Amino acid sequence: MSRVILAGTAVAVLIVWIAMAPDARMTPSSPSQAVHPPVVRDASNLRALQAKYKTLSTQLSKLRPNQPYILVDTARNRLYVKRQEEVVLDAIASTGSGTILDKPGDTDSQWIFDTPRGEFLVQSKLTKPTWIKPDWAFIEEGLGVPQNAADRAEEGVLGDYALGFGKGYFIHGTLYTRLLGKNVTHGCIRLNDSDLKGVYTLARVGTPIMIF
Amino acid sequence: MIPLNPQIFHIAICTLFLAQTPNSWGKDLEAFPKLNLNDPGSVKEAARVLEEELKLAARPQTYVLIDLAEKTIHIKGRGVELHHMPIGQWAVGSREALTGVHRLVARPSVVRRKIEPGKSAEQDPISLADMPADYDLSFASGLTIVVASSAEKDSLAQGIAFMGKAWWRQVKNWANAIGRDSSIPPAHLELTVSVDHAQSLAWSLVDGMAIIIRRPTNNDVF
Repeated sequence: MSRVILAGTAVAVLIVWIAMAPDARMTPSSPSQAVHPPVVRDASNLRALQAKYKTLSTQLSKLRPNQPYILVDTARNRLYVKRQEEVVLDAIASTGSGTILDKPGDTDSQWIFDTPRGEFLVQSKLTKPTWIKPDWAFIEEGLGVPQNAADRAEEGVLGDYALGFGKGYFIHGTLYTRLLGKNVTHGCIRLNDSDLKGVYTLARVGTPIMIF
Repeated sequence: MIPLNPQIFHIAICTLFLAQTPNSWGKDLEAFPKLNLNDPGSVKEAARVLEEELKLAARPQTYVLIDLAEKTIHIKGRGVELHHMPIGQWAVGSREALTGVHRLVARPSVVRRKIEPGKSAEQDPISLADMPADYDLSFASGLTIVVASSAEKDSLAQGIAFMGKAWWRQVKNWANAIGRDSSIPPAHLELTVSVDHAQSLAWSLVDGMAIIIRRPTNNDVF
């Protein structure tokens, strides 16, 4: 009997120990309990560390774009053109809807309509662009995919300008300006006419586009 | 009396003006403007983080810097801050495990809406509100980052649920440790942020994304 009580007590102690462990083992965000790194007491070592830090800071700052760059916030549907810290243009955009569409005849494959995240470059600048409708545009509408390439061309839906940044993604205009500020696109970035003109004017082929 | 050449006078005034002007470019060079340059530990840690960030910033990608010293999460690219969000609280299992570049291998799943062909083109898009506010992030290095929204702890029931999850996580870590060297603590960072910021972070993360972490010293201001 006493063995059973002893074993039960041991188990109870173990459970309490585990339950207490998360807080007891964590280093909280309080200065008094932060772990001290090895202290470098020598003044020359401190100077060397300071010099290293300054050098690395300088190296990092040299990687920053020194020309205007485009910044796209897909969560808040905003596009900025920035020159270093200065915001040169601030525009309401529409970015990817995040929806999915099954590819016909392929049960494992889908289109995902996200705006890609990361760093890209302006690869092309177009005026009076024509939309060459991809397969998904027809399938989404419940239509058959045309065999004739000419049947894919659609004029006047992308606005006056388009800036390509790879894999079929563009910054372009829209007929649906009431949807600006919402995630409604198939991955492209839509702007109103005046903002699109501003971006087209400020950006060159090679201008960085940072999307998050 | 010495005759004053107007041209020399102009150059002298310009030189004086330039000497008095704060060097704004120099300010831009500071990676951590609030860094206490007289604290060797802080400077050493800042330099370590910068060495890691330089590797990331040299490539065309976005990455995340979790700055525990300044309680801020930065989304960056090429050394430029794209977005930042404050950290309410944080806790860590092992500080040593936070060094290095951590590559994201598992992030919270998002329920995406499926388009029905032939239906209206204006089907409900995904939005920030669809993002989870409480989730775990797993990294190739073995690090786990637990993101908890501050709202989760607001009510008693939510607080109990939060504690329950923390307890279960610890049990799993303990069970995993049995099979390996128990002197190596599980790499585990817990961040408490607002609901909006937790959702914003979930939105911004992509598979394979790199994360670096700056650890505080006891001399850092919180």
